[in-house]
Amino acid sequence: MEKSSAGRTLVDARDKSCPGPITDLALAYRRSKIGDVIELWATDPGVRSDVRAWAAKTGNELASMEEKNGAIVSVLRILRR
Amino acid sequence: MKRILILGGGSAGTMLANMLARRGVETTLISESAEHLFQPALLYVALAGAKTNIVRDERRLLSRRVNFARERISRVDLAGQSVVAASGARFDYDELVVATGARADCGQIPGLGEIAERYGNYHSGIARARKLWEALDSFRGGTIAVGQASPICVCPPSPVEGVLLIDRLLRRRRLRDKSRLIYFTPFPRAYPARPMNDIVEPILKSRGIEIRVFFDVDRVDAASRAIFSIEGERIECDLPVIIPPVSGADIAYEPAAVLNPERFLIVDRATLRLKGAGGAFAIGDAADLPTSKAGAGAHLQAKAVFRQLMGEPAAFDGRTHCAFDFGDGTGTFVVSSYASPAVRYPPTRIKHFMKMLMGWFYWLSLSAFFEPLFDWYFAWTAPEKLSGRWPNPRKEIKADAQP
Repeated sequence: MEKSSAGRTLVDARDKSCPGPITDLALAYRRSKIGDVIELWATDPGVRSDVRAWAAKTGNELASMEEKNGAIVSVLRILRR
Repeated sequence: MKRILILGGGSAGTMLANMLARRGVETTLISESAEHLFQPALLYVALAGAKTNIVRDERRLLSRRVNFARERISRVDLAGQSVVAASGARFDYDELVVATGARADCGQIPGLGEIAERYGNYHSGIARARKLWEALDSFRGGTIAVGQASPICVCPPSPVEGVLLIDRLLRRRRLRDKSRLIYFTPFPRAYPARPMNDIVEPILKSRGIEIRVFFDVDRVDAASRAIFSIEGERIECDLPVIIPPVSGADIAYEPAAVLNPERFLIVDRATLRLKGAGGAFAIGDAADLPTSKAGAGAHLQAKAVFRQLMGEPAAFDGRTHCAFDFGDGTGTFVVSSYASPAVRYPPTRIKHFMKMLMGWFYWLSLSAFFEPLFDWYFAWTAPEKLSGRWPNPRKEIKADAQP
């Protein structure tokens, strides 16, 4: 599920197993503009390595990755597309 | 008696109508096509030149208790519980099940429509599948790039199956050493679900197929046959084999909030009821579920809705059972559920044989007569029963799936 407001997109991929979170992130990236922020919430532990690899590959910034209420929350700033 | 209306005559809609008919429940099924296509066989039409008949008359697949209406739906009023067709015909209902599937939507990617027209693909009907076979048939060497244009694709194994079947074709025609095969994917690895990738990636590498990950198609240029990714990379090739993005049916819903941006219906993942618009169900590819868009899911979702309509407690558990052909006489299934990640299920010849029989089983399954057999099969192959049995995939592959 995706909610957008003022250049910030919240992507809720909790309870989705791999590749659900990375699919949702890729779809949100497709709809994003440079300068946007994507906040991805996921519970699948594989999301840590996938999101790091995604940010490195796409040249976007992983501003933070932390655990909140049992979920892994990644904040990505879109710098390239 | 409740008026049950089913929209869509694909596998989910047809199975559900027949399941209800077997319990003596009358339904109306509306489909815009009088024909029923066995979609998984397009792979073999396009990449192996198969000429078997993969289309049947929908009316003949339905029980006599099902009222079949051939109409194109234009509007669904969920609050008013009615459906309006393009012809102006109106259908009122007490229970609605939407099973209108997914369709290839080249319009999402600039240039893709032209590529599909010139070279075809194996995800948009028989004509396009034959077109791709013609393009492969006249291929004499060069670069072929195969992949999906969007992270959402019907039948997740099919992009990898495609490149492996092309590899087989080129080897048989002694063209493999004159060809370069590139497999591109928007995912971080060749197969999106990690445990299956442990099996898939070594197989692709062993056949000399180049893998390009995080390649999410942004646009294509038909004239130069170049594929550009959102990530800023490009692939140039002689034959682009691109699986188009998908979207839901072009139907207006009231309220429109039941649709996601790709026009799939937002449902509760267990009950399959539309969120925020009580009553209606959505099943099969039409539903926005966190699981694969594929036939076994459609089957089990039809079953879960059937039980609920019969007043029995039932929920869809997210089960997948996607057949996977490795192009070397072996195959496997991608088995998972909401509770269990994909099983590392090594390929064997027996599973490939089962996939080859799938076309035959498919037509049988639509009648809903063999449900007890399918119940047993799905229980026997539940992911909880299979997982952890094959801890070392590489060893299995050596013994089992040499190209």
